[in-house]
Amino acid sequence: MTPLSHSSARKSRLDGAFLGSVLALLVVGSLAVLSAARPLPYYHQALERHFSAMFFGLLIFAVAANFAYEAYEDQFWVIYGTVIFCLVAVLIFGTVHKGHRSWIQLGFFAFQPSEFARVGMVLILASILDKRALKMEYVSTVFMSLAAILPIAALIVKQPDFSMTLTLFPIFFAMLFCAGAEWEHLAGFIVLAIAAISMPFLYLFLSVYHPFPVSGSFLRFFMEVFSSKESEFVLVLVLAVIFGAAYYLNHLMHWRLRMRLFFIFWMLLTSGVVAGITVSHKLKGYQKSRFTAYINPHSDIHGAAYHVHQSQIAIGSGGIVGKGLFSGTQSQLGFLPERHTDFIYSVIGEETGFVGAVLVVLLYSGMIWRIADIGFNARDRYGYLVCCGIGAMFAFDFILNVGMCLGLFPVAGIPLPLLSYGGSSLMASLWSLGIVANVGRRKYALL
Amino acid sequence: MGFFIISVVMILRLFQMQILERASYTLAAERNRTEMVYQTAPRGIIYDRNGVPLATNEPVFSLIYLPSQSTTQSELNRLADELSRTLRQNPEDILAKLEQARSARTALRIAENLPVPVMFRLSELKPFYPGIDLVLEARRYYPFGSFASHLIGYMGKINPRQWVRLKARNYRMDSRIGRLGVESVFERQLRGTDGAVKIEVDAHGKIQKILRRLPWKDGRNVHLTLDAIVQKAADEGLSRTSTRRGAVVALDPSNGDILAFAAAPDFDPNQFLGADPFSLDYSTFVPSSVPEFDRAISGLYAPGSIFKTIVSVAGINEGKLDPSQIVFCPGYFRLGRRTFLCWNHRGHGNVDFFTGLAESCDVYFYKMGLVIGADLIEKYEKIFHLGKKTGIALKGEEAGNLFGPETSMQEGKTWVGGNTLNLAIGQGRLLVTPIQMAVVAAALANHGTLWRPQYLRSIAPESNGEILRQSPQQIGFVRASKKTWNLLDQAMALVVASGTARGAAIKGIEVWGKTGTAQNSSGKDHAWFIAFAAKPGQAPSIAVSVLVENGGHGASAAVPIARQVIAAAFRVGKKIQYQWPKSSPKKIDSSAVKGETL
Repeated sequence: MTPLSHSSARKSRLDGAFLGSVLALLVVGSLAVLSAARPLPYYHQALERHFSAMFFGLLIFAVAANFAYEAYEDQFWVIYGTVIFCLVAVLIFGTVHKGHRSWIQLGFFAFQPSEFARVGMVLILASILDKRALKMEYVSTVFMSLAAILPIAALIVKQPDFSMTLTLFPIFFAMLFCAGAEWEHLAGFIVLAIAAISMPFLYLFLSVYHPFPVSGSFLRFFMEVFSSKESEFVLVLVLAVIFGAAYYLNHLMHWRLRMRLFFIFWMLLTSGVVAGITVSHKLKGYQKSRFTAYINPHSDIHGAAYHVHQSQIAIGSGGIVGKGLFSGTQSQLGFLPERHTDFIYSVIGEETGFVGAVLVVLLYSGMIWRIADIGFNARDRYGYLVCCGIGAMFAFDFILNVGMCLGLFPVAGIPLPLLSYGGSSLMASLWSLGIVANVGRRKYALL
Repeated sequence: MGFFIISVVMILRLFQMQILERASYTLAAERNRTEMVYQTAPRGIIYDRNGVPLATNEPVFSLIYLPSQSTTQSELNRLADELSRTLRQNPEDILAKLEQARSARTALRIAENLPVPVMFRLSELKPFYPGIDLVLEARRYYPFGSFASHLIGYMGKINPRQWVRLKARNYRMDSRIGRLGVESVFERQLRGTDGAVKIEVDAHGKIQKILRRLPWKDGRNVHLTLDAIVQKAADEGLSRTSTRRGAVVALDPSNGDILAFAAAPDFDPNQFLGADPFSLDYSTFVPSSVPEFDRAISGLYAPGSIFKTIVSVAGINEGKLDPSQIVFCPGYFRLGRRTFLCWNHRGHGNVDFFTGLAESCDVYFYKMGLVIGADLIEKYEKIFHLGKKTGIALKGEEAGNLFGPETSMQEGKTWVGGNTLNLAIGQGRLLVTPIQMAVVAAALANHGTLWRPQYLRSIAPESNGEILRQSPQQIGFVRASKKTWNLLDQAMALVVASGTARGAAIKGIEVWGKTGTAQNSSGKDHAWFIAFAAKPGQAPSIAVSVLVENGGHGASAAVPIARQVIAAAFRVGKKIQYQWPKSSPKKIDSSAVKGETL
């Protein structure tokens, strides 16, 4: 270690394109919030919150960008403990808003721990996967990572915030993939995930189109068992048995590969079904109706489909250059619901048209490209994994949110990071981007 | 990598939505934010021949509901409850209408014609329930109530089947349409062009601003040939009858213009425009039991002795009846084994044509009927246009029933001598309407011309178009000798001077007439009187036909009405006030914004 290289590395400048795209998104988001929140009765309060959150967020960004990210790996247990503590605290002391117990009221500021928990999860997973860098081909690595994030996911589900929980798994898979996990393992988990996610949807789909289920049938029995009050306990028990068996089977090396795959496949499918049934019973009415609206958008134009419908009208009517900031009829007259939060992209689409909407896609793509690039050039595996996780987080949030606004995906209550109104989301996003910035700055650092 | 592919997909989707399919989304956005609120335009005013307004308009307020997609069911229920208390209507009905508006996504009228206190109460509710609003409209108003109601008609709600047909002519589901009489016949001309207010609403149905105002255009005014004073005399006359059922039709013999057109019972057309138009169920109405049944054109009655005028024309014109021939009337007439009575059972003694008609001696006409022959009488029935509709431009006119050997043959019935006797005194199966007899009376007055009864004088021009005037239409002509008409004039004058209709005599006016007392199966005889009158030395200017259902003798029940009508037409006598209160209907301005209403 020479003093020269050390000091020059310390002074390595911030990635210009990255910083530029982040700041540009913040500007676009602020304009959109300024416009979208205008019809609200608490407009000034909302702006005050938005800009103070942005101020603190930029402060956090600046701090994180200058804070050696390796410390997060060292302080793995502290982060993990803090995340769990906050998530437990929110379940006890949290305030309920729109059916979610997701907020902790700290004076004038409502703080949403789950937003920070997501960033925390990325840091935790990065630590685990970095430590097991040489054991990536073992399925135990996958199980271990899953075991690490399951408590976080469970606590967020408990709020209940399914949309947020849903976003954890793509991040998880992306990080495992980037860390170099075996594709069979990932495929197995993807089958499990698809089964788990599709089961509530399948259940809803059937209940929409068919009287369901026939009493006394096998399925009915399952439904009854897994929709009982103790369903969570049963679920954990069944999953434990299945995964235990899977772990054990994995060690039966003398079994032929095909045999193993056969068993694993059925185990995964069963656990997916079980999880799905449980989840479907935990879904709130509006969540079910959102899904119903997605599979049959014209069924109920006044209910859940209304959101998507109005969002599409807003975007479509924007045309090439839009109706002008502050003059979108859909947003200003209140036809677009949740316009300053989940449907902020529709406001941009309506008021700035194709130009603005594409600009946002390009800015986001640019930002994610820079995050990926920073990750590939990170000085260590931990930094690389953190960038992968954070990049995946933004990428999936963006796809789900914009896809929802465009009517490509079902309505999931996910805000668009950096653009939507929401202090916690904004600050957590800026924190994570600060970490990425630090990874980028320290790519040549020796320490 | 995957992310960038999805980004491209998103950009393509944006391109599709914002550039390729922009028009449809823009339309949807416009439909979201704009609402059209229609304002019913004033209809054309209906005037009588002297400029008395018979149907005008008055400004009223309607409650409209601008639906909002974000309104929940419970909010809707609450609104329905609140409105039902204010409007005193059934909450379920209001809720049904609110839901209809929401599912149709258009503004809908919840209540119409609101009284002022209700209007104020509703404006107080507006801040609490976005979506309800008041709109100024013009409503039909009939200042004289039931006055000439059968001719003027009334307004009703459009029924769904009609609406489907008339949609293209800008009728809306809550439009009103002329249902009877002039209102219905001249619907196209009377109807104005509704005004509209294009407003911008927010998601709660709250009005943001008025984008555009399309002022309404008044309908075209219609001038009738009706004389309000004559009409009033006819209405009052009918209302004083014992049964209050009957009809009076007064025509101008020179062209068939209707001077009075009254049928009793009548109705107040304002009733159909009440604050709660939904409580009236039109489907349960049965014709003839309801006031809408127009006895003047749809009521069928045996003409009785007034038919003797036609018999006389037939006899004299064909040379079969010698006016100087004396017939002895013992009070009855024997034909074969049957005895036919004269109405005066004591007999009229020696009777010639003049006394025969003046005293309406049945025996004289029995004998003359046999002399003239049923075939000739039937021929003259047809010449006088009986058995056919007069063609007055009103719905529901009846043609009546001819009676004679030829008609009987067609009906497969045999004609016997007794039938001829019955026919000669206007009984039997002969059935006529009061308007047919008015046409006959007019023809007797003008010596032969049968005019189609008409009530339209002119229609005001459409901005710069021509005034529409209707020319008289002849439906027939009675070709009879001058001698025939002179003899008939003499005899009919005698009826008034010394005969059965002495009560119709008016000082200074020449009156001709013939009474009738028609026997019928429904009870007391129907009283008939046809007459025409002229100022001395002038051509007759009014012909009247009066029918009082079950009124008894024509002389006592029908003659006084005719006398009043004739007196009114010549503005003589003191019984009727001939000064009509002069009032010019006020024009309603569509953009007159009163308070917080649209």
